[in-house]
Amino acid sequence: MPVAALVALAVGGTAIAPAALLTALLHPASHTDAATIVWSLRVPRIAIAATVGAALALAGTLLQALLRNPLIDPYITGVSSGAGAAIAIGVTAGVALAAIPALGFVAGLATAVLVAVLARRGSGLDPERLILAGVSISALMSALIALALTRMGHGNASEAIIAWLAGSLSGRGWPELAAAAPYALAGAALGIATIPALNVVRVGERRAATLGVDVVRLQWTVLAAAALLTAAAVALAGLLGFVGLIVPHLARRMMGTDLRVGVPAALLIGAALVIVADALSRALFAPLEIPLGVLLAFVGVPAFLYLYLRGAARAYA
Amino acid sequence: MLALEDLRVARGGRTLLQGIDARFAPGTFTALLGANGVGKSSLLAAMCGVLRPAAGRVLLDGCDVATLAARERAQRIALVEPTEPVLGAMTVEDAIAAARFPYHRWWEWQPTGADAAALAAALDATELTALRAREVGTLSAGERQRVWIAVALAQNARVIALDEPTTHLDLRFAVETLTLLRRLADAGAIVIAVLHMLEEAAAFADRVVVLGEERILADGAPAAACTPEVLRAAYGIAIDVDERDGELTFRRKTKRPAEESAGRDRPVGSD
Repeated sequence: MPVAALVALAVGGTAIAPAALLTALLHPASHTDAATIVWSLRVPRIAIAATVGAALALAGTLLQALLRNPLIDPYITGVSSGAGAAIAIGVTAGVALAAIPALGFVAGLATAVLVAVLARRGSGLDPERLILAGVSISALMSALIALALTRMGHGNASEAIIAWLAGSLSGRGWPELAAAAPYALAGAALGIATIPALNVVRVGERRAATLGVDVVRLQWTVLAAAALLTAAAVALAGLLGFVGLIVPHLARRMMGTDLRVGVPAALLIGAALVIVADALSRALFAPLEIPLGVLLAFVGVPAFLYLYLRGAARAYA
Repeated sequence: MLALEDLRVARGGRTLLQGIDARFAPGTFTALLGANGVGKSSLLAAMCGVLRPAAGRVLLDGCDVATLAARERAQRIALVEPTEPVLGAMTVEDAIAAARFPYHRWWEWQPTGADAAALAAALDATELTALRAREVGTLSAGERQRVWIAVALAQNARVIALDEPTTHLDLRFAVETLTLLRRLADAGAIVIAVLHMLEEAAAFADRVVVLGEERILADGAPAAACTPEVLRAAYGIAIDVDERDGELTFRRKTKRPAEESAGRDRPVGSD
């Protein structure tokens, strides 16, 4: 991850030579162009990329472990589609662009609550219902997004929405990170606290219950953690696919299924992946930026298929 | 002491057993017998607090099992159920180490000396030490069954309940498992096992509870509980029982009960 961060500092619309980069890093107060670019644009962007990548990777890892299903990604909680629909409708209704992330965050969490209510059985969650509810609500929200875009026609607002749906860190800085970080941290703290119990769930949910795991409480805690982490990531970067799906696979492949080592690995891989992808999105066709979500999908889909066909999913088979 | 008080057990709204009163003392090995679907597994799950009883209570040393927190319950009661799917990439050692979860608070992630000792003892007792680094998914059904028994041992619980523990085990491991359970009972544990082999129950258990439709048909020492009449009521077939030198043997008659019992009275104990 530190290597990824250094590369990301050097590349972008304006390439910075290693010596100038070092000077800029060591002398943040100097008023050179390099220092300004590094400290006011690239460092916050790298911090955001790391937060988004780590948050999605953690959410995906927790959900896959809880549901013992390698095909689950954080968007099964309904957070992203709910946020997307609210933003599309909000922009159509003339909500200020500055309010987009906050609107997405609130709507995303509200949709997660709706999915959770639909997935309830007794006092706990039914994994099958959770998947069905997540997929159905996501489909409904996608239809709302499409409807909003159709009604809006072409223009700056619809382009803003499309850019957001494709996932991007463009224009994000410290204020956005400061607003989302508390939720990401709360989600991470909740999620990390469930690691010992999720490790026990590896022997089966029912057997875990006989081994002292309060399965109902675990389900709700993981869902709340995943929703908070995903909502923070969505508010910062829009919809980034595949990080939450692929990174848990990579971490399991490298570290096995013990989440005490798997989660730190997933956090680092997720952060590094989004930092590198964001740097590439800035550098490949500079000064144009490729949407981050598009780049991740181009890399993510082949990588996922490769891993899946090579049998990485065996861990949860 | 584990006590069942006027227990009613239901699955999917259907009552399987009701009015069940029984007490299980430390140092006893009880076998639960009965036909398929009669409610043995459900009764075992209810005793262990995994299935909520439709009515009545399960008391462990005077404390209602339903009121125990999950970790507290797991420290006192271990339940071995027929295998459910397990994560392939988990080693035998990891699986058995999961049994120590109830002894850790949520921030304690590293194993303690007591955990290591419990793990080593469980591996040794089930002869799994050589397989400790193998992935559970690569084991045979019998080896996996031994892993789940080892998990129960590592829990260090006073009550050990097992649902068909000898299923999938070859003859030698079946006998060794039952001998191990006998030893645990002799050391003061309350051992309760659902068994299908009558010989196993008679040879290793000191008490047999035979379940019939919605109730207990017989409860007592093997020789007293496993009479031909009771077994016929329980299984619907004729079974001869011989006792020689204090050892019970059972022989299933080959005739179908409908042919054999035509014109006869219903057997004793079936009403």
